[in-house]
Amino acid sequence: MSDELTIVTLFPSLLNSNGDAENARVLARRAEWAGASARVVAVEDASELPAHVDAVVIGSGSDNELEAARDKLRTLLEELRRWGTEGVPILAVGTGWELLSHGIELAGSNGGPVRAIEGIGILPGRAVPRESRVTDDLVVKSKFGRLVGFENHARDYNHAEASPLGRVLSGSGNGRGSGQEGVVMGDVFGTHLHGPVLAKNPGLADELLARMFRRAGLDYQRGERAASVDEIARAARNQIAVRLGLESE
Amino acid sequence: MGLRYAPAILIGRCVRVLARLRKPGGGSAVPGLVVNKIAPGFLTETLNSFPEGLVIVTGSSGKSTTTKMLVAALRGHGKKVFTNPSTANISQGLTSALLEEASLTGRIAGDIAVLEMDEGHGALIADALKPKVVLLTNVMVDQIDRFHDSEMVAGMLEKIALRATQAVVVNADDAFLEQIVTRLRGTVDTPRFGVSVDVLDANPRGLGLAAMTPRRMPSEAGVLVRSVSGRSTEVTIDGGAVTTVRLPARGTHYAVDAAAALATARAVLGNRFDPAIAVSTIGSIPPVFGRGETLQVRGTTVEFVLVQNPASFQLNIDHLDPDTEQILFAVGSDVRDPSYFWPVDTSGLGHVDIVSGSKADELALQLSYDNVQIGRIERDLGKAVDEFLAMPEPSRGVKTVIFSADSMRRTRAHLGLSAVEAPE
Repeated sequence: MSDELTIVTLFPSLLNSNGDAENARVLARRAEWAGASARVVAVEDASELPAHVDAVVIGSGSDNELEAARDKLRTLLEELRRWGTEGVPILAVGTGWELLSHGIELAGSNGGPVRAIEGIGILPGRAVPRESRVTDDLVVKSKFGRLVGFENHARDYNHAEASPLGRVLSGSGNGRGSGQEGVVMGDVFGTHLHGPVLAKNPGLADELLARMFRRAGLDYQRGERAASVDEIARAARNQIAVRLGLESE
Repeated sequence: MGLRYAPAILIGRCVRVLARLRKPGGGSAVPGLVVNKIAPGFLTETLNSFPEGLVIVTGSSGKSTTTKMLVAALRGHGKKVFTNPSTANISQGLTSALLEEASLTGRIAGDIAVLEMDEGHGALIADALKPKVVLLTNVMVDQIDRFHDSEMVAGMLEKIALRATQAVVVNADDAFLEQIVTRLRGTVDTPRFGVSVDVLDANPRGLGLAAMTPRRMPSEAGVLVRSVSGRSTEVTIDGGAVTTVRLPARGTHYAVDAAAALATARAVLGNRFDPAIAVSTIGSIPPVFGRGETLQVRGTTVEFVLVQNPASFQLNIDHLDPDTEQILFAVGSDVRDPSYFWPVDTSGLGHVDIVSGSKADELALQLSYDNVQIGRIERDLGKAVDEFLAMPEPSRGVKTVIFSADSMRRTRAHLGLSAVEAPE
């Protein structure tokens, strides 16, 4: 392996509408705080892909650019398949996650017919229209701790039941009465939790970091600075949880 | 419109008196709420009744500064202008403001109305309005939880633009606005303003627009910002003589606001437009509170900096004096979910003495991941402000307070600065 850990964020000019691509920075910073050296590479075209990749972040974009983003992701289909099964963690948020699925159904505007966009098909399930957009806090019980964040999406996610990221404590998540949020398959993590989900939920960040360090033959121990920053994250999560009538932790 | 609205106006005034008795200094939106309920046509009919028409200023950012500049320019030309006071850019507030000045026939003394309009609320009442001129400032990534994405903002601006009877003034650097111009199909004039290649080059992070046009506007095509230096800018009108305009604060976005105000004043006044009057009156508007001006507070000099969206956040941080020794940074409840701020690179701050506001933890988290050193977190803004002002005088720079709109309002109230000009 190379000495420096490389975290790539895919096509951020199309996929970063809620700051989701910035999760790459969170991984790099925590890797540094754990004593490793790390860099973030923003990849706007397949030709810019570094030779070695340790983790991948795919953010969320606007519906008008779904097909453009999908076509870009297709140029990395083989790499994404390979990474997701060989210990390179992939975090995909919002529409970035939907595009990894089998497909996205778009509600027709003004009562027009439903339109479907094919996904790149590396995750089970598909995105289907909701009655109305959900824009609210989302709290999820997961094996990486209670995850707290914000969701802003116009579609539910069907058929992730086999391997969700967690169970919804507050909010909508995958919807359709599933009571579940997100999907995890191999090293691929899909979630509606937008924005800096890894900063606010370091338990999930450290799971991704442990996988990335393991593959590099390193041992991941949370750094001292991370421990103090994680106290800030805990306060931010608790503020939201308490407002929603959940217990502080 | 006769005395049709007289009962509603009288009732609105009674409600206003009652609201003020109950809460001195407050209750400004309540009379509007009541009148909009009992006389739903009052607001739009009154707005459409000005003899020289209605001008609407809308877009993601720069609305309030540009509106003030435009009003100053029109008044400089001898026009009597009605404009909406600060924070009254929603229907209730606007109706309340109109009630203050309307006669019982619903008429307001004045030649022309210039209104700053929130894109969301503006689109809601657009169908009933007949503006003579609409100014579209820009489409920025702003308030994601309200508007979801830039296409939606552009759609709302288009709805307002389609109502214009004479001209739609647009920012030529904004690709979304140029698309709107295409869809207007030449039904109205579309004067432009924009920045030069040099100005864009001096802003390596760009202008904060959601999408930029591929080429800069040629100087002969409108009002062009040629250069920006501190609190002044050089502009040309249709490629004519270079003119210097004084700005209310430093920063490229204020120069663009001035260009927008010049282009709009010209569209409104036609051949009565005098560039010399426009430039001098625009240059005379006072610094806007929270836009990088300094004030004397409790015997110490304080600079106040407002961040409203990712673009102004980044620009304002980039424009801070790098030697600034003491910083208080507060984000409040106006930012529902601060995720969309994360693309902003805050590392240039280096350190922040006190992080405050109801979203203090979220802000501290972002600063931490940019390796900005944090002195401490104090969620109680009043306490934070008191302790910040009580700190020993800095040896370098001035005490600097950076805040979101909600924290700004709370800070002003806490310091008793209510008489100071507000940006909204």
